[in-house]
Amino acid sequence: MTAVLLVALLLASGLTAESGIRLQDGIYTVGTDDPAAAALLSGDPAFSVFLTDHAVLAQRPGAYDLVISGGRAWAARTEKGAAALSAFAVAYRNYRAGIYTGEEDLFAAYPLWIETVEVTSSLDFTATESGQIIAPKPQEGSDVRPSGPVEDLPTPSSTLAVSAEELRHDLAAAPAGNDGIARYLGMFSGGPDLGEFKTPSQLSPPLPFDSLIYIFVFIFPLYFTSQFAMMSIANERIERRGEILLSTPAGPLTIIAGKMLPYFLLMIAVCSAIVLITGGSFVVILPLVPVILFFLAAALLIGMTARSFRELSFLSIFFSTVMTSYLFFPSIFANVHVISLISPLTLVVLHFQGTGFTAADYLYATALFWLSTAVVLWLCARNFTEEQLFSQERLTSRLRSFIFAAMARDHPFASLVAVNLLAIPLIFMVQLMYLVLLFNLPLPWSLLALILLAAFTEEVAKSIGILALFRGIPGFFTWRTVLLAAVATGFGFLLGEKLLLFVMMAQVTGSLFGSVLFSGVGLLWMPFLLHTAGALIVGAVLKIGGRRAYLPGLLLATAVHASYNLILIGGAL
Amino acid sequence: MKPRHVWTIAKKELRGIGNERTIVLAILLQVFIAMFSSFLVVGLTSLYDPSSLGGMSGGYAVGYAGTDSPLADLLEEKGDFEVYHMDLSEAVAALQERRLAAVVYVPDTPPDGIDPVKITLYTLKNDISASVTGVKIREAMEAYEVMLREARDDRLAAEPVDIAVPADAGGQSFFIFVYGLLVPLLLFMPAIISASLIIDFITEEYSTKTLDTLLSTPLTFTEILWGKVLAAWVLVPLQAGAWIVLLAANGIAIHNAPAILLHVSAASLVLILIGAIAALHYRERTSAQFVYSTALVAVLLAVLAIPGNPANLIVLLAAGSPAPLHGSALVGVLAGTAFLAIITDRYARRLAARAAQ
Repeated sequence: MTAVLLVALLLASGLTAESGIRLQDGIYTVGTDDPAAAALLSGDPAFSVFLTDHAVLAQRPGAYDLVISGGRAWAARTEKGAAALSAFAVAYRNYRAGIYTGEEDLFAAYPLWIETVEVTSSLDFTATESGQIIAPKPQEGSDVRPSGPVEDLPTPSSTLAVSAEELRHDLAAAPAGNDGIARYLGMFSGGPDLGEFKTPSQLSPPLPFDSLIYIFVFIFPLYFTSQFAMMSIANERIERRGEILLSTPAGPLTIIAGKMLPYFLLMIAVCSAIVLITGGSFVVILPLVPVILFFLAAALLIGMTARSFRELSFLSIFFSTVMTSYLFFPSIFANVHVISLISPLTLVVLHFQGTGFTAADYLYATALFWLSTAVVLWLCARNFTEEQLFSQERLTSRLRSFIFAAMARDHPFASLVAVNLLAIPLIFMVQLMYLVLLFNLPLPWSLLALILLAAFTEEVAKSIGILALFRGIPGFFTWRTVLLAAVATGFGFLLGEKLLLFVMMAQVTGSLFGSVLFSGVGLLWMPFLLHTAGALIVGAVLKIGGRRAYLPGLLLATAVHASYNLILIGGAL
Repeated sequence: MKPRHVWTIAKKELRGIGNERTIVLAILLQVFIAMFSSFLVVGLTSLYDPSSLGGMSGGYAVGYAGTDSPLADLLEEKGDFEVYHMDLSEAVAALQERRLAAVVYVPDTPPDGIDPVKITLYTLKNDISASVTGVKIREAMEAYEVMLREARDDRLAAEPVDIAVPADAGGQSFFIFVYGLLVPLLLFMPAIISASLIIDFITEEYSTKTLDTLLSTPLTFTEILWGKVLAAWVLVPLQAGAWIVLLAANGIAIHNAPAILLHVSAASLVLILIGAIAALHYRERTSAQFVYSTALVAVLLAVLAIPGNPANLIVLLAAGSPAPLHGSALVGVLAGTAFLAIITDRYARRLAARAAQ
């Protein structure tokens, strides 16, 4: 059966490679009275071309997305018309490029070549983030001359270092224009190497979707493998086969490591194979290792918490969507913005582009993945017991009891500090996700949304420990213990936050957005009071109203937290 | 086969989904993706439409070094740039201090010379504005290329057909991304989810050994099967319809919604039946899911290679482009579905008969 499937898969991919992906065929309609224009477009399946005479075209001007007549192109006044026009501009440019590339005298057809040199500026992240745009036209009379020292640059050579034939070869391989989708599809067939010299039309701004290909190529095989890991864990639980393993002298860590090792090796092997095929270097594997480990840790947690395969499917789909976006969306801006470095995939993109990355970049992009993996794995190892594995509770209460089980019952307050400390890497991941999602919105709204979401996330995270204690030890909460628990929570949270900030987040925290997320690095007692107050509100509301009051308490705490941040940022705006 | 029995099973499965709250996750997931599409919209428009960033209004300063050329005037022509003639080293230092947006160095190659003119362009790395100015610099460079090409006109052999294209609107990437990729992806996602749901529905009965209990009621094996297929199937048009509404709420109008829902429903039934057959054959989730997902990739690849495939038709219908053959294509898909349905039914009957022996 597997053989039949493989053959079918090969046949199908052969068919697709042969005929291309026919998804956008005929999306634009073009009416023309010019046979030459019709011939020009006949090779592009995105256009359905109607060759009629001039009178018909003049009669119904809105009937086509694009009309070509009398040596001019006219677009319908719709969004689609505009898209058709710009698609036509690309097709026309390619057509002209095809003719010029065939010219005997290449430098008459392409008289202008550009070499781009990228200069690193020391101010990048903070300057663009705080709403300041680089180098606006200076005021009248002011000076554009540099204030700092001037380093002497050699005059660039005025000749091209490559022969005309090599350039012609590159031109034929890389048609002009910025038709993104054609370029991603082109990347599969060993994408064209543009070289260092470009004609003006090849001079394109960084394409946002190049990184999509890396996601597909590297991350999707990882999803499949982590699915199998999840299913293997869930199988043992649901069919209760895991009991035998647990009765052996091997500890939970040994069992987990043993179960995950084959999947880890498999994923590394898959990545290595892809690296070999794409012809990259094995440095690419480095940023993928923490991603793989995080996937496995998440697979373990999902496998341990899902009650049925159905729930498992949904959880895994949900997890993979969230992770794809976390990995993918920042790396869109790989060439554009430092924020993109929060995704390890950006390092892969940078490496494939030949820019490379430094050890600091690596630390910055992967630290959260390493830390979160460690936290999740530890949580799972603590709960890898018969009692936890084979209970049939609901998802949320399972998670809560997981956390409760990880706490030391004799030292509830120390445990609260530890839980909040350890939750920090996960919270930072979530908050960076918000940053990625929102930093493109217009300024007041992005800040507002960020403040609310960040406050909510932090309050949820802080309340989990308290809720776990509340439900785990009935009658534990007196007013005194509520206060102590809040203090412990606030302390643990603050400690973790500052530690992590100190280690790695200097770049983000320097910006306006950073100050929203990780409020006030300078003052210590204000955020401590804030975090304690939030936890105290949730704890007090829980004590008065019981478990039903949890959600209102949470919202109240969020409101307090958000308004504190708003006032704090109020000065900054 | 009694429709009432089929419906009983369908209701049981739907209630099962509702109880587990997994449907809540599914809805969250969809909202999540909707958020991203709006993220992409903002991101893309700011990348491709520089004015949306608001930074271009005042114009940028550009350093110019080397020999004088018409390029300086071309850069200043539209008011996007202010050109400063300076020494190269000084200009690059100013660029590093962000006093300039870019620096160009032009050599003394004659416009009609044998050699090409090689311009060196210095830009800032890691900067969103650099990609904005990049678009404008490219326009000026292209205009300069045309001037140089005219100067060397007599050395060109072929003459391309001349069609004047009005200034580029720049909307293509966004439009084609939304209608050409996002819409078919979103509309087929419910189909793919439902097909893996049916595998869970069926293999669950085997793994929890509840099938015998079900069969001891007046329900027959085929009724149970079709009830499960029905439960998985009704979710598809519901979710796809929700998508269409969500997209419309985001300002992305979907044309021909009823026809699109018909296409999605017909095509999704094919996927669901493939999943059902795999589940019936393996009775065990891991193998069934594996075989189904491999088969899914093969089927999708093969189908996408055919012009006028359902995904292509959905793109055309959603964008309001003419899709003259979509009626007959629908009939074709329905015929295929009917054929698969008959196979599934026969297979289920045979399994039931074998179990009864």
